Parts: sequence; structure tokens; C-alpha cells
Amino acid sequence: MKQIEIGHGSGGRLTRDLIKNIFLKYINSEELDPLEDAAILNLRHQRTAFTTDSYVIRPLFFPGGDIGKLSVCGTVNDLVVSGAVPRYVSLGFIIEEGFSLESLEQIAKSIGEAAKDAGIRIVTGDTKVVEKNKCDGMYINTSGIGEVMRAMPLSNISDGDAIIITGTVGDHGTSIALAREEFSIEAGVQSDCAALHDLLTPLFETDGIKWMRDPTRGGLATVLVELSESLGYGVHLYEDRVPVREDVRFISDMLGYDPLYLANEGKAIVITSGESANKVLEILKRHPLGNNAALIGKVSSKCKGVRLKTRIGGERLLDMLEEDMLPRIC
Amino acid sequence: MIKTQDIINHIRSLVPGDRKVRIMNVCGSHEHTIAFSGMRSLMPEHIELIPGPGCPVCVCPESDIIHAITLSRRADVILVTYGDMLRVPSKDGSIRAQGRNYKMITSPSEAIRIATANPEKKIVFFSIGFETTTAPTAAILETGVPDNLYILSSHRLTPTIMEVLVKDAEIGIDGFIAPGHVSAIVGSNAWNVFSEIYGIPTVVAGFAADNLMLGIAEILGQLKNGKIRTGNVYAGVVRPEGNIQAQNIMAKFFEVADVNWRGIGYIPESGLELRDEYSARDARKVFGLKEIKEEKIPGCICGKVILGKAYPTDCKLFKRACTPKSPAGPCMVSMEGSCNIWYKTN
Repeated sequence: MKQIEIGHGSGGRLTRDLIKNIFLKYINSEELDPLEDAAILNLRHQRTAFTTDSYVIRPLFFPGGDIGKLSVCGTVNDLVVSGAVPRYVSLGFIIEEGFSLESLEQIAKSIGEAAKDAGIRIVTGDTKVVEKNKCDGMYINTSGIGEVMRAMPLSNISDGDAIIITGTVGDHGTSIALAREEFSIEAGVQSDCAALHDLLTPLFETDGIKWMRDPTRGGLATVLVELSESLGYGVHLYEDRVPVREDVRFISDMLGYDPLYLANEGKAIVITSGESANKVLEILKRHPLGNNAALIGKVSSKCKGVRLKTRIGGERLLDMLEEDMLPRIC
Repeated sequence: MIKTQDIINHIRSLVPGDRKVRIMNVCGSHEHTIAFSGMRSLMPEHIELIPGPGCPVCVCPESDIIHAITLSRRADVILVTYGDMLRVPSKDGSIRAQGRNYKMITSPSEAIRIATANPEKKIVFFSIGFETTTAPTAAILETGVPDNLYILSSHRLTPTIMEVLVKDAEIGIDGFIAPGHVSAIVGSNAWNVFSEIYGIPTVVAGFAADNLMLGIAEILGQLKNGKIRTGNVYAGVVRPEGNIQAQNIMAKFFEVADVNWRGIGYIPESGLELRDEYSARDARKVFGLKEIKEEKIPGCICGKVILGKAYPTDCKLFKRACTPKSPAGPCMVSMEGSCNIWYKTN
């Protein structure tokens, strides 16, 4: 089986071959194709969003996606929830010597497909190879640029605003937990890894939208705790309204995880004025990625922290966990 | 089907208006359900739900943890134990931090597997817990274990500690929710002593919030009508006589002993040690382990928390110098420990 050699990261002939034979086969754009040191971009828009993220997920391939798809969707989603239409993405690989070229090709293919689906162009890239055992297969960094259509600062949020989640929580975390070898459980839970541009950009023109965030590492609960800390006041969350797949709930119970803290890679929290909540839900539910959207809580200046209204009607505090329930989830 | 709200209304209708009612649970899973369901916020003002000694990891003596660390540092030993035990702090650190040859297991049968796969090593199974984990350890002894497997027994008896609590006026218990899993082994009859001798309603409950609240309603009902008895709202799982077979094999291999409880001290006839006939399997005897004096953790009130004399939030270290990632006291370690549970819910 053909493998990555140290020379593939040398910048010489082998690197050139790798780019031509694998990357450009699946990933291309007018900005990338000249293979210059930097891509030249024409940004027509005045306000630009810029983000970066590194992907160290284990395992590299999981039900519902792989590190390639994730590295595109994750960066696209960071731009979208910032109120931007994603445009350009960079792609940096750190690959371990001995990595299978076949797997690399599969990942490149996913990246190409995900870029096309998300309507973005990969415009610049880099490949480095490190010695065997100096990294775990492959890491990817992507940065992205988007055109801001609607700025949504935290200061938009006020008492009584509605909190909406665009779908079921905990799918990604559960699928990764199952994909790791420690658990010998067979289940059909797929990662929700998806680009949210198509679901969320219509909201840029909807009245009452205040703020968005994609609840990745740390899940829904962690984002809400961070939010309440930044706001200086509280939010109410209704446990029985948070959509959780039946199998995700079952597996989390068994493994001791809480879906509220499990990572998502294709969901967004949308905060909207109380009056607009129904309209926003209606828009979200029209899209396949939003058909489980639900109103799950409310911003309240009368309390502190995240107050969870439990299934039996009790109330308790949701706090940030000290550490991720599952490390290396994205 | 009974609705949650109906049970809550029923509980409210049973509250004695004039005094506090203190109901103690003695099972980490019960405390987990109570805390995570926000049950305390639903209780009428006079009802206090107190977490008691429900976490076996929390009461395991420091001395045994130090022995486990010391044994794991021997070249000829592999120490095996349940995951939570690896992280319990002692004055010599935790097994995970200071131990050398140790493996986490989830059931005693894994200890056998490890012993069989490593015939040149001595496998020490640090077996801890209440009746629920004693029975499986007795079961492997009954079916036969490899000659290189030794047991470091740190098992504790639930009814004995509950009797200690009842006699302590400072705690003032009005009712017990008896542990569901332990009751499945010892039987609901094991709790008759509390209703018959001490006049304290004791009700076996399961782990769903509704079922636990039914248990609370049963305790309040008994207090109201004065007919105190052992109740069981978990009768689908728990029989009056319990699991006789499990009781028999436990009695065959273990005998009752006076043992130390961390943060509490020596309690007569509150633990289980291997019988003399099985000395060859007893790590304490084979390795000549001597009791090491327990050192108080400065500021830690785990002992009081375990006895229901304080809540985790009363501790100065709680959420400050003591967190699940770097626990100062034993109750912050296990998911069954009151401090660990309260860390996530309060």
C-alpha cells in the first residue's frame, strides 16, 4: 500500500506530485490552481469575517463523515453563525509519515465535495509531513473568510428572547464515542456533520434574529453557560423540549454522558426576539437540516446562570464541565 | 398511569405543617437522580432530602488506597480495581498518579482474565463496595480463581452504617430511602430493624425520579398515619428475602469484621473480610499489610457529608480547591459521590 513519506512534505518533487495527483484531482478553484504562494481574492464586501480552526479528531473516519468534511463544515459554520456568507477557505495538512495515500485521497475527495456543497472555494493550502509517531495520522487546519451580511453582537440579546436549537443534540459526540474502539456497541448513530449555510443564511434577512452559535465541543450546555456568563444574567432551558434522538439518549445513559454536553457539528443555537420565534422556527423547519428545530429556552435577566427546568418540573443549575467528556471530538 | 404532578401533589398533601422531615438516601444513584432531576426544588419547604453514605468509593479507607499504591509498585504485582478507585486521593497520591502496575476493570471476571493472561504475576483485585459488588466477587471465588489472584477486600455493609446514623441524634433522620441495588441482594426484610426497633419508615425505591418520589410519599404517609413499616416501591426488582444464592456465597467466603470508614472511623461489624479458610487468597495476609493511620485532609468535610451532617456546598473547598478533575476529598471523585454530583448540579 502506498504511503506518505517525509519527502511529501519537503516542498520538492514529491510534494508537487501529491498536490497534482491527489489534492487538485478533487479540490480546485481559480484562486488555487496557479499554485502561487498566496491566493489573490477579490472581496467586494466591506465587512469581512475571518476564522480559523484546527481538527484533531480521532478517529479520522466516523459514521457520517471524516476529518476532511469536518474541517470544511466546521469553518463554514463558524462563519455562518457570525452572520457571514462563507466564501474562501484555506487548507493546511499535518500528516504523519506512513499515512495511507488511499485514505488521504478519500479525505481529499470529502473536502472537495464538502466545499462544493457549502458553496465555498478552497483557495490556498499547505502540506507538512512529520516523522512516524509524531502525530496521530493527520491534523488539518482550515481558515475561512466570509462576507458579513448581518452582524449579530451579543449586545443584541435582551430579556425574554427565545432560544432555538436547529435540531437534535449529541449526535456527533455519540457517533465518535461509538467509533472509538473502547466501546463494543453497534448502533446506527451518525455524526450530524454538515454545513449550515443553506439553513441559516435565510435568517440573515429575518426580523428579530439576535445571535447564533454552533454548539460544538462542550455541546449546548457549555455554549449557554458561556452565554450567560457574558451576558451577566441567566437563561432558562427546558429539558423536555431539547430534541435528543432516542438512540443517542440510550447510549449516553449507558456510557455516562449527558447529551446536553455532547458535541454537535451540524447544529446551531439561534437567539431571536420572543415575537419572531415562531416565524424563525417555521423557516428552519422548511429545511431538511432544520426539521427538528425547537424552541428550548428563554433569556431571563431575573436569574443567573443556566437554570434547567427538568423533565419532572424541578429546577437545577447547568454548569460548565471541567473538561470535555470526550477529548479530540473535532 | 400515575403522573409526576400527581405524586408531587400527593407529597404536598402529606407534609406535616409543624416540623421538618429529614429523609436520607444511602445510594449514590439515588442522589444522582434527586440532584439531576432538580427534585429538591419540587419538595415542600419542610422536606429535606439528605444524601448519606451511598458512595463506596468515598468511604474506602485511605490505608487501603496506600496499600494498593504500594502493591502496584511491586514488580511482581498487577493491581486491578474499578475505575473510580484509581483517582481517589490519599496522602501518598492516587493509584493513577503514584501507582505503577495497575489496570482498570469493570467486573471481577476481568480480574480472572488478567490473572490467566499473566501467570508470572500476582494479580491483586482491590475489591471495594457495598453488597452489590461483594456478591460478584464472591461469585468468582465460588466458580474458582487462578492461584495468582488475590483479593484486597474493602467491602462495607449498608445496614450497619445506617444503624450508626439512626443512633446519632445530631443527624436526626425521619425516614430512609433504602438503596435499590443493595436491596435486591439483601432483601427488603433487611431494613425491618429500622421500622420495628427505631420506628423509622424505610422504603426501597428504584432509580427513576417518579419512583423515588413515590418512595418519599410512602415515607410521609407512614409518618402521618403512624403505621411505620418497611415499604417497597421497587417490588418488581426487590424481593423481601433478596437474593438468597448471593447471600449464601457471600457468607461462605466473607465474614463480618470491625472496619474503618474514611472520614468516619472504626465501626464494629460494618465490613467484610475473607474468612480464614481463604487466607491464601487474602492480599492483606499474603502481603502482610498493616493498617496505616489516616491523615485528615485539611479543610475537607467529606466525613460529615457522608454522615448527612453537612451538605457539599457547606465545604470551603467545594468548587474551589476541590473539583472532579483535582479532587481534594474522596466524595468529589466518583460519579456516586455527593460532592461530585452537587458539583454538576448546584
